[in-house]
Amino acid sequence: MSTPSDTRRRIGGLLMASPPIIVVAIFVGFPILVAMAYSFGHIGGLNRTIATIARGQHTVSSWHQFSLGAYRDVFTDERFRHDLVVTIAVTLISTLVVTVLAWVIAMYLRTTPEGAWFRSGVAKLISGLAVVPMFIPVVIASWAMLTFYAADGFIRSLCADLGFQGPTWGYTMVCVAIGLIWTNLPFATLMITSGVQSVPDSLIEAARDAGAGLLTIVRTVIAPLALVPTVIALTFTAIGTLGAFTVPYFTGPNAPNMLGVDMVSYFRSYNRPQQSVVMAVVVFAVAAVFGAFYVWANFRSAKDSGRV
Amino acid sequence: MDRRKFLAVGAATAGAAALTACQGNGPGAATSGGKAGASSANTLVVYAGADTNIQDLWTKSLIPGFKKATGIQVHFQFDLHGQNSDQILNRIAAATQQKKDPGIDFLESMGDRAGAAGLLADPTGKVANLSEIPSDVLDTVEKNAIPYRGSAVLLAYLPSKVMKPPKTLDELLAWIKANPGKFAYNSPDSGGAGDSFVQTVLTKYLTPDVLKQMQTGYRKNLESKWDQGFTTLAGLNKSMYQKGVYPNGNNGTLELLLQGQIWMCPAWSDQFISGRAAGVVPKDAKALQITNPSFTGGATQCGVLSASTKQELGFKLANWILEPAQQAAIATTIAGFPAIPLSKLPAKLQSEFATADPGNMRPGFNSDLDSDMKSLWQQRVPGH
Repeated sequence: MSTPSDTRRRIGGLLMASPPIIVVAIFVGFPILVAMAYSFGHIGGLNRTIATIARGQHTVSSWHQFSLGAYRDVFTDERFRHDLVVTIAVTLISTLVVTVLAWVIAMYLRTTPEGAWFRSGVAKLISGLAVVPMFIPVVIASWAMLTFYAADGFIRSLCADLGFQGPTWGYTMVCVAIGLIWTNLPFATLMITSGVQSVPDSLIEAARDAGAGLLTIVRTVIAPLALVPTVIALTFTAIGTLGAFTVPYFTGPNAPNMLGVDMVSYFRSYNRPQQSVVMAVVVFAVAAVFGAFYVWANFRSAKDSGRV
Repeated sequence: MDRRKFLAVGAATAGAAALTACQGNGPGAATSGGKAGASSANTLVVYAGADTNIQDLWTKSLIPGFKKATGIQVHFQFDLHGQNSDQILNRIAAATQQKKDPGIDFLESMGDRAGAAGLLADPTGKVANLSEIPSDVLDTVEKNAIPYRGSAVLLAYLPSKVMKPPKTLDELLAWIKANPGKFAYNSPDSGGAGDSFVQTVLTKYLTPDVLKQMQTGYRKNLESKWDQGFTTLAGLNKSMYQKGVYPNGNNGTLELLLQGQIWMCPAWSDQFISGRAAGVVPKDAKALQITNPSFTGGATQCGVLSASTKQELGFKLANWILEPAQQAAIATTIAGFPAIPLSKLPAKLQSEFATADPGNMRPGFNSDLDSDMKSLWQQRVPGH
């Protein structure tokens, strides 16, 4: 039975939620739809401007048709397939490493006992250092990393002094992965640390009293309770890495490289905006898969707290 | 700092960083204040997307001079490195289609792209000095664009390491193979110097008439003629810097030259000369033009927008900058090549530019072919 006041409250809630929805729909959703229409060959309306400048387009003449020409261009291009594989591989690796590192930091902070002055000092240092990348612009960090791992960089010089050949990681995917881990670590650390911190002391102490070791406590008590923030950190890191541009552009090799760089090259240097949009759609689709995890995590946390 | 405080501070900074990350450098960054200047009937809005040397040239020399000579005000919209040039071009295209004032009257550069998109007004008969420009240069510019200054790509090298620099392309290719890791060119999509190197190697295998067709129009069916050149370029991978690394941007290679990691690279003449003065190019570095074929050079093309309501003023400016006095100013301040023949310039400048041979500026491929070439290079050279 819904009373009139219930209905009023529901409408009120909808009205309060609508401004952000409308803003997102107009300024994000609509341009995405227009771009997708362009990728299927619709060059009229808002796409007319870009279509006068672009080359190598596949076009259709009426609204009910669509052309997969641009998609065929992109998917038959060996370079794109390589770059897609590289992008996904780098995304998975950096996400995994970021999550593991963030978990290690979170656990170290959580298990530091009161009064252990040395460990608490280290814990403070680590917690401070973990957020440092947030204060350093990505461009500057990329350059610093490139010089550090270059053929005449610190690592190689140090190795040469010790009498052996060090690796040259500048302009390789290794350097890109290191750079992406660096940029994504602070957010994941904050997210997972707060999740781990919020596990009540009483639960951990109860488990300890029952004779559980550290690993058992982590596995059966902390991990399940910190699952939702972990999934959120995972998805944000993965989506951020997937569309990365600055780090792979500055520190990566020419080929294969990540799709963020490809999209810019296609758009600007090759004057092929349609193909660039096709790649954006592909990245969008992959990001949607990661996004699904995020939605699931949110839904689960809402369900746990009885909101759904 | 205890844990809770750390978390609170951390969360606040995370939020702040997320907010700052949202601020891009959109077209607004380049076009602020455009309206105020554009409203006056006697003010011309000039857009330039270039490096700071071009900014100095215009704001310190050309604009004051033009105002003195004609009384016309110039509002200068400067966009460093042309970062917003795509948005600006889109805005102009949109305004032209809707028959509205784009807020810009004159493009300092990008005349090639705007011309190809049909956005420029026809200068025929309105710019008298156009007749001074050599016809082979005029043949290669896009529709209605006006070449007003030029630069060429040269081979920059460190004389302390390279005793006998190569004089021809064949010698250069042999040198690269003989000295692995000591040569680099930037990826062609990231800058004109590397682009010129790629074009020059491809040109080696082209007949003169095919080359002529490639310079003057978009003839996609001729692209198969590049196969041999691309094979040669892919064959150089192992001899390149770090076994096939192509740095991004024209200064990417110059930086490696400065660090001494490489000994030779292609570089833009003006960037090389001004960079040597600024210290970003080694002081003792030298540059020369190779032959057979030479590296390409290009005219920077300006143009008056067809959507502009002040075309008369725009053409007046175009005509004025092609006069010998202004061309000489361009040559002295930015080491740019004049668009008009060297013989029209003062004798002192003539001798200064004699070694760079600006008269022999070999034009590059048509801009659409060049875009295709960049894409094909990316497909077929690195990592093969």
